[in-house]
Amino acid sequence: MEIILVDEIPVWRIKYYPQSLDQICGRKEIKEVLGNFIDQRNFPHLLFSGSNGIGKTTLASIFSKEFLGKEYDANFRLVYANLPLTEEERKQARSEAYISSSKVGSIAGRRITTPAFIQVKVKPFVQLKVLGDAPYKILIVKNFEALGNNQQGFRRLMEIYGSNCRMILITTKISSIIDPIVSRCQIFLISQVKLEAFKSLINTIVIKESLEISDEVIEILYKVSEGQLARAIDLLQLCSVTGNVITKNNLYENIQKFQNDLIRSLLLVAFKGNFPKSRELVRKIISSYKYDTHELLKLILEEINKLPLSRHVRSKIINLLADTDYRALDGRDSDIQISAFLSKICLMSEYL
Amino acid sequence: MSKISDIPWVEKYRPKSLKDMALPTARVSGQKVQLDQEITKFVTEFFIERKRVNNINGKIKDFNRTAIEKEQKELLQISPERAAILLEGPPGIGKTSIVYALANDLNMEVVETNASDTRTRSTLEKKLKETTKSRGIMDFITQSREKLILIDEVDGIYGVQDRGAVPTIINLVEKTQFPIIMCSNEYKTNLQSLYNKIRRFEVHPLPKEEVLRISTNILKKENITQLKKKDLELIIDKNNGDLRGVINDLQGISQGKIEGDITELILSLRRDSLEEIFSLVRDLFRTTSLIEARNLTDKSDVDYNFLYKWVNENLPTFIKTNGELVEAFENLSLADEIFGRIRINQYWSLLPYFFDLFAGGVALSRTVTPEAKGFRRVVFPRYSAGGYFSLTNVQKDLAGKINLKYEISPIEFVQNFLPFLKILAGSSRKQLKVISDWLELDAKEKKLFK
Repeated sequence: MEIILVDEIPVWRIKYYPQSLDQICGRKEIKEVLGNFIDQRNFPHLLFSGSNGIGKTTLASIFSKEFLGKEYDANFRLVYANLPLTEEERKQARSEAYISSSKVGSIAGRRITTPAFIQVKVKPFVQLKVLGDAPYKILIVKNFEALGNNQQGFRRLMEIYGSNCRMILITTKISSIIDPIVSRCQIFLISQVKLEAFKSLINTIVIKESLEISDEVIEILYKVSEGQLARAIDLLQLCSVTGNVITKNNLYENIQKFQNDLIRSLLLVAFKGNFPKSRELVRKIISSYKYDTHELLKLILEEINKLPLSRHVRSKIINLLADTDYRALDGRDSDIQISAFLSKICLMSEYL
Repeated sequence: MSKISDIPWVEKYRPKSLKDMALPTARVSGQKVQLDQEITKFVTEFFIERKRVNNINGKIKDFNRTAIEKEQKELLQISPERAAILLEGPPGIGKTSIVYALANDLNMEVVETNASDTRTRSTLEKKLKETTKSRGIMDFITQSREKLILIDEVDGIYGVQDRGAVPTIINLVEKTQFPIIMCSNEYKTNLQSLYNKIRRFEVHPLPKEEVLRISTNILKKENITQLKKKDLELIIDKNNGDLRGVINDLQGISQGKIEGDITELILSLRRDSLEEIFSLVRDLFRTTSLIEARNLTDKSDVDYNFLYKWVNENLPTFIKTNGELVEAFENLSLADEIFGRIRINQYWSLLPYFFDLFAGGVALSRTVTPEAKGFRRVVFPRYSAGGYFSLTNVQKDLAGKINLKYEISPIEFVQNFLPFLKILAGSSRKQLKVISDWLELDAKEKKLFK
């Protein structure tokens, strides 16, 4: 038996997760600004915007950690706006939303219409005074755009409790955030890490893990990972399993493994014209990976671009996808929209 | 006018014996059988088998004197296939009646539990325990009748109220001292473990002539002569093989005056909503014109909020060719979109389009596929894509363990991190061991990686 060191973390993306602002890869200018905030012990509400998996949350949470120092645990909170509330939280929101009629005052017996998310997850934290000698509490709201109309509720919260708690809002779509919120925040547009910074990060890992990799392969890795560092590191680790020298072929092989095979098999089943089976499969995919409709359609779009189809068919399918996505926005039951899409592909297969 | 009696006719005319019953046809694993013969055979064979098994068990108990030996020697059990059967078919065709008639013929007592009882583990056990245990001394003295256990509406076992019922029933089937007959309307996935163990009889709806014969008989006995034959046929058509429904309708109509045109009255009669929605969905796929479809949706009380989801779920069962499917789904998806807009912007004036699209549009799309004959299983729309995001318990535990070391949202965890961990752990045995040591995984969580 081999002896395994327990203190060694086997997953590299966690092992090389930055511990301080300096360790974060690239982003010199932003780090400078954030460093200034820490020195002055003051900062405005922040809004981080950038594409998926690019490191917005990492940046925000490490900044909060350094800003709060030893008061971090008590004064920090991270909430996900796109996660639905659990049953207990719903119940709590319901019970708190009603003011008993036995109470005196103009709002006695009334229902408060605060959105449940804010009622349960945000307000209790924001209202509590700062603990210890930290200047502010920090609340990070991830996927802020998922709040939709409930964003309005944040307008007053940010003003009333702003002196007590500063917020860092994180979003992938700045266009879907309402103007009053945008105007209350300092905005950071976070872009993909530069190639040089990426190279230096990969090289440090390569040296520590005693691997061999050429510049060319790093560039491919950079392109493939689309700025998602965690994904790049995952790929690197998968490649390293088979050997210490990482080649182009090795990398491509693992990229293929990484792809979502289910989406492809879904399309293949649909192209065979079997509607009931393809609907079953798509339901399975949605419930096991918890994709929402938009995400699923985007994945299908990516897969369509990879499949060897004629130009006409490809454009037709993209057309269908766009139509489906558009209808699902307004519609009430996305299962119907997806079923309609699949049935069209099944029919198309008869003319291919 | 006929006398108004308090007893529902359904109970009043419930057949006392198999002989005077309208026997539905049935299938067992694809083969046509005589249902009455089969279940009589089942019950009689059960008692023979029970005698044999109990004899052997008695010998085992006598033979092995010490307690340890008794424990070591396993007692024989009646195999589940011989101990229980399941009758499956649409409502009102006589599944429950046939059991009662049989019990009457064989002079047995029926112990019944149905969906009106909450069927948690403890209540079920309480009710059925004494009947499944071997008989006590008192039974020999009083010469009590043999019992027949009827678990009606098994498909109604669902949700929190009936927690633990399925394992209890399976346990019951394995230990029972009396034959068990279960009835169910439709196939349910949560009963799969039960289906694996016992024989399933697919019971078909009654033929129209049979229903006509019985209902004219009843009308004759009740001295109702005013009802026209045309109207009677309409009632029977509307109920679609459901004899109980026909009898209930007849009683309902006969309690008022039967004069002039009662077609409207007949169409307005309805049964409880679930039964109604099943037949409504079936009827909807039978229509060929917009007006028919419109009539159906207008007349029905079923919440349209809900109805179009039923249509969505059951479309592929009734419409088979891809061309028609596309047309039907195109209409349905447009209906869904319109409905969404109505709800968001309060454009209630658009509602007629919604109705015509999801009901009429779907009906009109069926041009090639012939009308569905016989009993098609209508499925409850239980799947919802926009449902809660929730992890399974194992996933939750794993996410919790990982969250201690690495802050990650549950969504990213399932979509992104877990697939990666799976590939990594699957790449070599060493990797799997390293990862499972690091996360201190138990066997269940390790299974996630396979």
